[in-house]
Amino acid sequence: MNIVGKILFLYLFIYGVIVSACAQSVRGMVTECASREPLPGVTVKIAGTNIGSTTDNNGQYRIDNDILKNNKYTLEFSFIGMQTVRSDGKAVNVNATAVINICMEDATFQLDEVVVEAKSPVQRVRETSFNVIAVDTKTLRNTSLDISHALDRVSGAKVRETGGTGSTSQVSLNGFSGRHVKIFMDGMPMEGFGSSFRLGNIPVHVAERIEVYKGVVPIELGSDALGGAINIVTGQSHRTFVDASYSFGSFNTHKSNISFGHTVKNGLFVRLNVYQNYSDNNYKVKTRLLNLENNAYSREDQWFHRFHDNYHNEAAIIRVGVARKPWADRLQAELTVSNEKQDIQNANLMKIVYGGRQRQARSIIPALMYEKKNLFVENLNLRISSNYSFSRNNNIDTLARQYNWMGEYRDKTFKGEGQYTMGEYNNSNASVSTGLSYRLGEHHRFSFNNVYSHFRRKATDAVANSETSTAATFMRRTNAKNVMGLSYRFELSKLWNISAFAKRYDVIVRGPINVSTTSTEVYKEQQRKFGTNGYGIGATVHPGAGWQLKTSAEQAYRLPSENELFGDESLEKGDAGLKPENSLNLNLNISYEHAFNKIHSLYFDAGLIYRNTRDYIRRRIEQRYGGAFYSNHGQVRNLGADIEARYFYRKMFSIGGNFSYQDIRNMEQFSADGKKLIYYRDRMPNVPYLFGNIEANYYINNCFGQGNVLSFGYNMRYVHAFFRDWESEGGDIIIPEQLSHDLSILYSIRNGRYNVAFEVLNITNEILYDNYSLQKPGRSFSVKLRYSFFK
Amino acid sequence: MITNFKHSFARLLSVLCCCACLLLISVSCDKDKPKDEPKPEKAGAFFIAATGESSQYILTSDSPEKGSMSIADNFKQLELSGYTWIFNSNPSVAVGLIYQQGDPGVGLGYIVDGNGSLRESGQFLITSRFTSYGFFDRYALTSVGGVTPVDAQGNALTDSEGNPRSDGVTFNFFDLKSNFASHNKTITTLNITGNGEQATFSGIVDMGNGEFLTGLVVSQPRDPNAGGGASSGTITYPDSVWVAAFDANLNLKRIYRDDRISYSAGRFRSQYYSQIAKADDGNVYVFSGSYESTTTHPAGALRINKGATDFDASYYFNIQDKTGGYKFRKVWHITGNYFLLELYNDLVPTTTGAATQYGIVDVASRTFKWVTGIPAKDQITSTGLPTPHGGKMYFPIAAEAADPAIYIIDPANATATKGLTITGAASINAIGRLTQN
Repeated sequence: MNIVGKILFLYLFIYGVIVSACAQSVRGMVTECASREPLPGVTVKIAGTNIGSTTDNNGQYRIDNDILKNNKYTLEFSFIGMQTVRSDGKAVNVNATAVINICMEDATFQLDEVVVEAKSPVQRVRETSFNVIAVDTKTLRNTSLDISHALDRVSGAKVRETGGTGSTSQVSLNGFSGRHVKIFMDGMPMEGFGSSFRLGNIPVHVAERIEVYKGVVPIELGSDALGGAINIVTGQSHRTFVDASYSFGSFNTHKSNISFGHTVKNGLFVRLNVYQNYSDNNYKVKTRLLNLENNAYSREDQWFHRFHDNYHNEAAIIRVGVARKPWADRLQAELTVSNEKQDIQNANLMKIVYGGRQRQARSIIPALMYEKKNLFVENLNLRISSNYSFSRNNNIDTLARQYNWMGEYRDKTFKGEGQYTMGEYNNSNASVSTGLSYRLGEHHRFSFNNVYSHFRRKATDAVANSETSTAATFMRRTNAKNVMGLSYRFELSKLWNISAFAKRYDVIVRGPINVSTTSTEVYKEQQRKFGTNGYGIGATVHPGAGWQLKTSAEQAYRLPSENELFGDESLEKGDAGLKPENSLNLNLNISYEHAFNKIHSLYFDAGLIYRNTRDYIRRRIEQRYGGAFYSNHGQVRNLGADIEARYFYRKMFSIGGNFSYQDIRNMEQFSADGKKLIYYRDRMPNVPYLFGNIEANYYINNCFGQGNVLSFGYNMRYVHAFFRDWESEGGDIIIPEQLSHDLSILYSIRNGRYNVAFEVLNITNEILYDNYSLQKPGRSFSVKLRYSFFK
Repeated sequence: MITNFKHSFARLLSVLCCCACLLLISVSCDKDKPKDEPKPEKAGAFFIAATGESSQYILTSDSPEKGSMSIADNFKQLELSGYTWIFNSNPSVAVGLIYQQGDPGVGLGYIVDGNGSLRESGQFLITSRFTSYGFFDRYALTSVGGVTPVDAQGNALTDSEGNPRSDGVTFNFFDLKSNFASHNKTITTLNITGNGEQATFSGIVDMGNGEFLTGLVVSQPRDPNAGGGASSGTITYPDSVWVAAFDANLNLKRIYRDDRISYSAGRFRSQYYSQIAKADDGNVYVFSGSYESTTTHPAGALRINKGATDFDASYYFNIQDKTGGYKFRKVWHITGNYFLLELYNDLVPTTTGAATQYGIVDVASRTFKWVTGIPAKDQITSTGLPTPHGGKMYFPIAAEAADPAIYIIDPANATATKGLTITGAASINAIGRLTQN
């Protein structure tokens, strides 16, 4: 595989390309010869002219022009990474449509100065007005990254981890995180998937690309995503391939995967993906030691090896289906099974240490997808996806022991290092997504999308005691949500397009609620309904010469959760009158790319974002009301900038980076009970606001043989220090600055068929924290061997 | 090599940072630089714990009777929020207790050192939940009931049906004179009162003779399927009160029993607030807020005279009669025979029922007065642990639309005046007075 031909960040989002119904036209389909996969984005030109088109998502193209009338012509098909193909001259009858289907061969290995052409203007045309970044994972497959680490390199996105391999990670987009950012896989919400199949443990190779929507989310991703959405797009390739890798690294970390895909002539395809992660996570941390004799902490920090942080995770995804049948363009069934087991080493303060607590999660997710183009009428496309997820999670804390960081313990007189539990909770979720799109003429496109999901949670605890549970803890809760979207796109010319969309959100929650007013709790299952409407617009302009401007806006919502509507059954009161959290999200992007003499090339993108978020749903505790309850309160404004720039020199060297700054501040002057807030206009606490990455690569091509590449990579991660709490309160607890450097050496043999990668992460052995007191691993080494075969 | 790398990238970074700053107008770069210089420690006789939006801070004040200070002028920000502070006088120490749901907590100790400066005197692990706490002898003591007791091998003790028992009460002892060195002990309470029931404890009163008293909430074992957030189960005998005397080894010395009031404990969620307290003359007053809905007794108080082994049969104080029917949840001793009561806002108390009205009882004259000069009950958003000083009660109150303040209550006429205001705080959790030891 020629690395030079790829670049890390590809902006990819494909909407259909116009095909008109005129008579003097040629149309057809472009496929990849090996796989017979449709090839989108191929430039189709009438040779010797500038008249042409590009293929759409389904590899279809169409050219309408008078020049075609009674003329012999040659079509030229070109696409980055493919050999250019010319059709033979063909004549076309008047009032008829010629059909020319061709296939193209992979030409990656023959390409020379392709770097910038990988982001050719043709591809830029396909960009929508959304503020979206798509991470092409191909270049990351020789690394041992998981999806969340790949996301961490995206401008405006930040991933915060609590520890090493398998630890909890949280993605934030321009300051939004948690319930405000929704995660999708192939357009389906990853609700109820469980922790055994999540961003922090899915290896990058499972995804073909990762799309990151900042603030404004297309209707195809149907959810109440207030602050943006992440869509993991798995490979839909029908090629026959085998990809196998194994890596071994510090802290006894082993990761391996095998993926395999095969398509037979009648369109039947099968694809299998199996992976495994294992680590002892026995890295060193600096913290205080508990004296087991007297239970007092040491006054000074000391270094210790983590001793109870083993993590392992296994998953398999199998997909079978048929493609290109008259009754279905694609029909596939998929099954994902995953398992995870994790030792819990410490609490939220690292000096509180455990020696026996464990967590386990399993999930099983069957899914079905059907796709049909030109349903009943031309240009009406239908896609139905559905999945059902079932996950089981266990928390185990049964030891009657007290541990310290030396790994020593003493016996206690009661069970549980923390809270004695063998708790289990089961989540299940069913989702159905229906997408319908219709193209009317050359300029109009309508889309409709509806996602219905039904989530159900049930807890059991074999040793539940009074301390944490009530009868209602073990009652079921359900949450049925429907998000419907309608969008319209108007494209007057290739130079600009404009789109508008509207969304309808509805939720019905059922759960137990304490209806008693005395000390004896009486629970009743109740139902509450909630609904609201959202809308947005977007526009993009291509003034030429490599420039693009785009802007988008959305009034986005997050609906109240079942806990917020019902309370937590005993201690908190819910409020059926809550309003949804809402945010006005605006984006403005400008990008430029240019190649100079095919030697130097430059890519630059700058984005400005504005977020005004209101009606936060907050949990309040007040004595006069006798406890906790929820209310809408607060306003946060974020004005931010993301900048990304990359430079390439031939196929020898590249350097690039991105930096994000967000001025994200509390704009609420008064507390919910009317007090003047000391932190009015303060930066939001515990949110990174200035961060970035720099990466550089150097390649030695044909090193020790034709088609062999030796490359050196460098990556830097920087996060400015930030306060854990409001700065104006005068606290001194901060999450310190993080600056870490990674180095890698990769030797690829026979155009990427055999790869050996050597990585050093955090080479200067910095003490790193994403969260207060939770130290991340120091310097680590790893070796990865990978075999990749494509036919 | 590596340092060079770092330097050049640091330079590059600073350039890029400046670019980012320039791009935005409303950026103030210097304000955002975290302070790293340590704050000068200042001596303060009063130790105040206050909470901002979520984080808890320690503040000090020499004279909380007047004026105001900002939460930003705090002495220290705490790593964890939600500490319960208690103050001992000999030795003089502030002890911060915390137990996070499901995780142990890191307890804190503060003293005023020889230079008159406030200083952290220790950090210690709190491994078990606690629902009641106090001081006894040289120890800070916590207790929690409803615990599953284990045998020497760590196996749960079971009842006749094989279910884990829930009659254990775990005590934690934190030695104030030895850097909070701690030990814990779990005792079983099955049939402790001779009626087949088990008990959860509420309150700790040091008798000064090597024993402490604690109120008993006597109940059936918890139904493991019932839930309820509390350590106790169904109350079979709501018209009786029991108080136990233990020694330092948790040997049960005796049990006081009476049928004139209900059990002595204030209930709030899983907590059992102390309703027993010692007056200046050494007599112990056992109050009952009469929380249990099935009791026929009004809220009131009994007395255990100093050194007595029984309740004083001649003393009974029907407090509910004087309050217009309101029951109470918390009791604090002020001075002499004065006690401060926290009363429910509604006539029928519930587990999370609001309680933001306050009254003073004189247990000798058996009189009750509503406290005046504090915010109205429907305006109070939170209150904190009060401390008696100079015959007055220093009581932290946060009210709607105002910064929280310390109110100084004169028990003789039950009137309060507003003292120190903490601006920028959402609530004041506790105030206590520390002196040099």
